[in-house]
Amino acid sequence: MIHAQGVFKEFRLYKKEAGFKGSLKAFFSRQFEIKRAIAPLDLEIQRGEIIGLLGPNGAGKTTLMKMLTGIIVPSGGRLSVLGCEPAQRLKYFRQRIALVMGQKSQLWWDLPAMDSFLLIQKYYEIPPKAFKDRVEELSDLLRVSAYLNVHVRKLSLGERMKVELMASLLHEPEVLFLDEPTIGLDLLSQKNIRDFLFQYHQKRNPTLILTSHYMADIEALAQRVVLIIEGHKRFDGSINKFENLLGHNKTLNFTFAQQIKEFNFFSPYSPRWNAGGKAVEITVPEGELRQVASHILAQYPVTDFSTQKTPIERVLETLLNSPELLKET
Amino acid sequence: MAKWFQCMKVVWSNLMVYKTNFILQSISPLFVFLFIKASLWTAIYKGAERVEIGGYDLNQMLTYHLWIMVVTLISIGAISQDLSQDIRLGRITAYLIYPFSLFEFHFSGFLARQSVKLAIALFTLFGVVLALKLPLSVTSGGWAILLALWAGLFWFFLNYFFGLLGFWLEETWTLGVMSQVITYFLSGAIIPLELYPLWMQKILFFTPFPYIGFVPVKLIMGSEVALAQAFAVLTLWIAFIALCGYGLYKRGLRLYTAAGM
Amino acid sequence: MLKQIQQYLSVYQSFVSTSFAESMNFRLHFVLLIVMDLFFYGSAFFTIEIIYNQVTVIGTWNKHQVMFFLAFMLSINQLVMTMTSEAYWRFPELLKSGELDFILLKPVNSLFLTFFRYIRPGSAFNIFFTFPALIYFGVKVDLTPLAWGLLPFFLLFAFLLQSAIDLLIATSMFWMLEGTGMNFLRMEFQQMSRWPDFIYPGLFRNLFSFGVPILLIGSGPIRFLFNPNDFIPFVAMLGACFLLWVLVALFWKKGLRAYESASS
Repeated sequence: MIHAQGVFKEFRLYKKEAGFKGSLKAFFSRQFEIKRAIAPLDLEIQRGEIIGLLGPNGAGKTTLMKMLTGIIVPSGGRLSVLGCEPAQRLKYFRQRIALVMGQKSQLWWDLPAMDSFLLIQKYYEIPPKAFKDRVEELSDLLRVSAYLNVHVRKLSLGERMKVELMASLLHEPEVLFLDEPTIGLDLLSQKNIRDFLFQYHQKRNPTLILTSHYMADIEALAQRVVLIIEGHKRFDGSINKFENLLGHNKTLNFTFAQQIKEFNFFSPYSPRWNAGGKAVEITVPEGELRQVASHILAQYPVTDFSTQKTPIERVLETLLNSPELLKET
Repeated sequence: MAKWFQCMKVVWSNLMVYKTNFILQSISPLFVFLFIKASLWTAIYKGAERVEIGGYDLNQMLTYHLWIMVVTLISIGAISQDLSQDIRLGRITAYLIYPFSLFEFHFSGFLARQSVKLAIALFTLFGVVLALKLPLSVTSGGWAILLALWAGLFWFFLNYFFGLLGFWLEETWTLGVMSQVITYFLSGAIIPLELYPLWMQKILFFTPFPYIGFVPVKLIMGSEVALAQAFAVLTLWIAFIALCGYGLYKRGLRLYTAAGM
Repeated sequence: MLKQIQQYLSVYQSFVSTSFAESMNFRLHFVLLIVMDLFFYGSAFFTIEIIYNQVTVIGTWNKHQVMFFLAFMLSINQLVMTMTSEAYWRFPELLKSGELDFILLKPVNSLFLTFFRYIRPGSAFNIFFTFPALIYFGVKVDLTPLAWGLLPFFLLFAFLLQSAIDLLIATSMFWMLEGTGMNFLRMEFQQMSRWPDFIYPGLFRNLFSFGVPILLIGSGPIRFLFNPNDFIPFVAMLGACFLLWVLVALFWKKGLRAYESASS
């Protein structure tokens, strides 16, 4: 489906010193340096997979997506998506992909979404009957029927994003790229988008490639995650494997009736106390879970406790702070 | 004062970064315009086999258009879309909070661009005078530059006024283009005003247009000009359009803050 | 092939209707567009009127011939203002904001989608001024029946050449940091082409006919209409038209490869 072999991308960055003098200098000779946005990278993706692309801002996730969709041309390496080279932008290829960007809009701002949809119908040569059915089906799933005839600029961000998604799905793409589809949305809207994507994937089984800063999106949807840091692929594997990267640890939370004075027992488990010393979060190896938990329950005035897997958010945070934990992949 | 200077410095440094834009937008149209007119009038004199049209021989006509270029370099600016864009995109909210008003910001930007254009105009003026050994009296040349600067102020307020219409209008550039078309035509930038019908000439001198091109050029060329009247008419127009702008700003702001646009 | 033409026609039809629907949101702008161009046409015709109050010919042409030429050029201008102008002004913005991305994703020719998507219905309205003017002065200069028959095709060719030049200038924005300035270059060229080529001194006439062929847009066809023996500029115009469109296709492809797409 998607094969990438040694794909990389370099940009020219023009430099200018601050202030008037710097501008004057730049006037006469423009300095630039080559910035490597993506280092040679291999990637294999099968049909119907849901991939979460992770990485901090500026890591190269969006650049990678734009290469996969043929918007920008790789500086080198071999890339094939749906059997085509994206940069050639064959019509066959463009008819089978879609890209949704949370921060940009493909809709006509001063017109109702339906007008944009009709235009999209013409672009993709969707037969009228199929178009009508899809509009109906998608607007039911997304619950947007009420806004399709409202000017897009008057929609809330959450509503607009749903309509935006809909516009990208009218031609039933085989591969759907989603770049921060939930950015800036409130929790409920985020969940709505996630649920919709999940349902849609169940129904149509497209390949989904998703970036998001909200780990809830990734956890809810992705089966596999690819971590990119500074243009390098640093992890590629199932989400379970990713969660267990830091060892098979569990996180335990305890709340106590009063402040704890003797906390020597907690020290080996990297405790994180709250300010009053009345609650703690510790990380315990899976094998010691029973023993440690029962000891604390027996010896301390516990009023509440809970356990959870190490959240993916914490895994990511730890990895970004100390990338040496990752072997080069 | 320091903040004005700081603001002008930012604009200058912007001009440097976007130098091609600045040249293509503000400087080169005038040179192209001069080239077209010089070609056109040369062809007209040649075809007509006449020495004099409207009191100008070919040399005088070409000189006239050369000075038109120098004068309009100062008096007419590029149409600026910035203000109405600031309004439409809601960027003016910042100026409601800054200790630097929207007007101050745009005016200091105008001063910065104007200073660059004045330098280019003076450079061209002296270069031409020296190269072609044209006669130029320092006093009338000085008055001409002053009048052109004054007309530049009018042009700024006019564009500021159009920009403020951005509170109500989605697009204001059409008004800018319209004013430019009319100004070119009525300021004598294409044809010296002596060739216009008499009744038109009579009316024109009560409008700001002749003072944007024709009158300063006549001054440079050594003609007698009613200077006091020129400044008086132009000042009245500046005061009028500035007041209109002020009123528009007040009303627009009320609309803006009320609607929370 | 036929199916493709059909698709593009139906896409274009949608452009027209969406542009119209959109412009109805800004009715005052719609009216101002019309008025603005009328001022422009008026001042252009009046300028020639004043000049011919003083002289009887410019070069070898009389007043009606120059007026006919001007009406032809204003008709081209009106077509450009209606069909493509808006897109040239939006293009630098598309590049800077990265919104060109969406155009590149669509299974429709990206050049077509970028530059023919925005139609100005206000300017379209002015066809009721430019075409009657063209016909009026065509009658005044006694066009032959053959010339009348050729006129629509000549308008089409002139528009194609004008667009090729404009598109080449627009395409350069892929490599320039400052796109808007290039639009002024476009307008300056248009301004030069609005006078018959013989007013320009020989060196420049050749440069702007055979180097950057802006003078051929109007002078090529009009000189041929007035005098069929004067066909060289017209043939040159057809050649330039073909050559420049090949260049447009080439440079557009190159430009897309250079496109870096603004991130987020």
